[in-house]
Amino acid sequence: MGGPGSSPCASCKLLRRRCAKDCIFAPYFPPDDPHKFAIVHKVFGASNVSKMLQELPVHQRADAVNSLVFEANARVRDPVYGCVGAISYLQNQVSQLQMQLAVAQAEILCIQMQNEPTLQSHHQVLELDQDHKALLLNNNNINNCNTNNNNNNFGYAMSSGQFNSNFASPSSIMQMQMQMQMQDPLKQESLWT
Amino acid sequence: MASSSNSYNSPCAACKFLRRKCMPGCIFAPYFPPEEPHKFANVHKIFGASNVTKLLNELLPHQREDAVNSLAYEAEARVRDPVYGCVGAISYLQRQVHRLQKELDAANADLAHYGLSTSAAGAPGNVVDLVFQPQPLPSQQLPPLNPVYRLSGASPVMNQMPRGTGGSYGTFLPWNNGHDQQGGNM
Repeated sequence: MGGPGSSPCASCKLLRRRCAKDCIFAPYFPPDDPHKFAIVHKVFGASNVSKMLQELPVHQRADAVNSLVFEANARVRDPVYGCVGAISYLQNQVSQLQMQLAVAQAEILCIQMQNEPTLQSHHQVLELDQDHKALLLNNNNINNCNTNNNNNNFGYAMSSGQFNSNFASPSSIMQMQMQMQMQDPLKQESLWT
Repeated sequence: MASSSNSYNSPCAACKFLRRKCMPGCIFAPYFPPEEPHKFANVHKIFGASNVTKLLNELLPHQREDAVNSLAYEAEARVRDPVYGCVGAISYLQRQVHRLQKELDAANADLAHYGLSTSAAGAPGNVVDLVFQPQPLPSQQLPPLNPVYRLSGASPVMNQMPRGTGGSYGTFLPWNNGHDQQGGNM
């Protein structure tokens, strides 16, 4: 760049001045892209851009120029809001997405909590099964006792009249014990209802 | 009051900074009060007083306050981050939008797996990409818009959305008035 035979950079061409070898614009505003410098010059001014670039290390100037070009384009497209319009729009998007995400996560949590009470219901069914089994065991005991005893009162063992009149007899005592054992599971079952 | 130049009123921050007389009708006076000298100093450093004068003269009076506030915001961002300026904030917000969109898509997929569909699950993706390569995260992150710079009146999106013409939503940028200007190579 610079010297006879080469084109001046886009900035020196626009400003109608000689492009020196150490021109600060030349590396970033090639002559084949005149619009790039024109828009930066319009929004920021050549002297301001020159000062900004001089204050930066050389390896950061390309990024600085690109961001200045972007901001200049935004300002020309929207003279009122410039880049702030884009920032405001993106901030709105972030807020909306955060709200939608919170709603979706809350629904997932509700579904997971709905699955947990179902397990408790299943547990309750198991408890009922145990009660039922206990009742069956007691019935088996009743049958065994009656069969072993060959008691003539088999058909009337549960009669309260029979129970009262035979209070002192050994078979009456056994019948009373069976009744007490049978009542326990019934009480236990009623607790679950 | 804003444009008075009698001895009872101070010159505006702009005329004080530029060491000139604050005339009646000074275009800066309504927006750069003398108690906010830093605001004009930033705008002058980044944009230049003559450029701002030209820009404001091209706007309608009721648009100038928003324009000055957005210029002040951008100037402050540029002073804080001389390399990336507002583009650093835009890149950061873009990454936030992408990350949140992915999380939302994953959550909606979970909901679909449970066999439930919600209004949010059917919502189409709403991400608009700027024509700019994401930059590294700036070392000094810009805070969200603070009350001083918050834009008054309707939001830019609401102002500009009805004026969009033609093209699908993906090609319409709500903050560029729907115009399809060709920008620089970015």
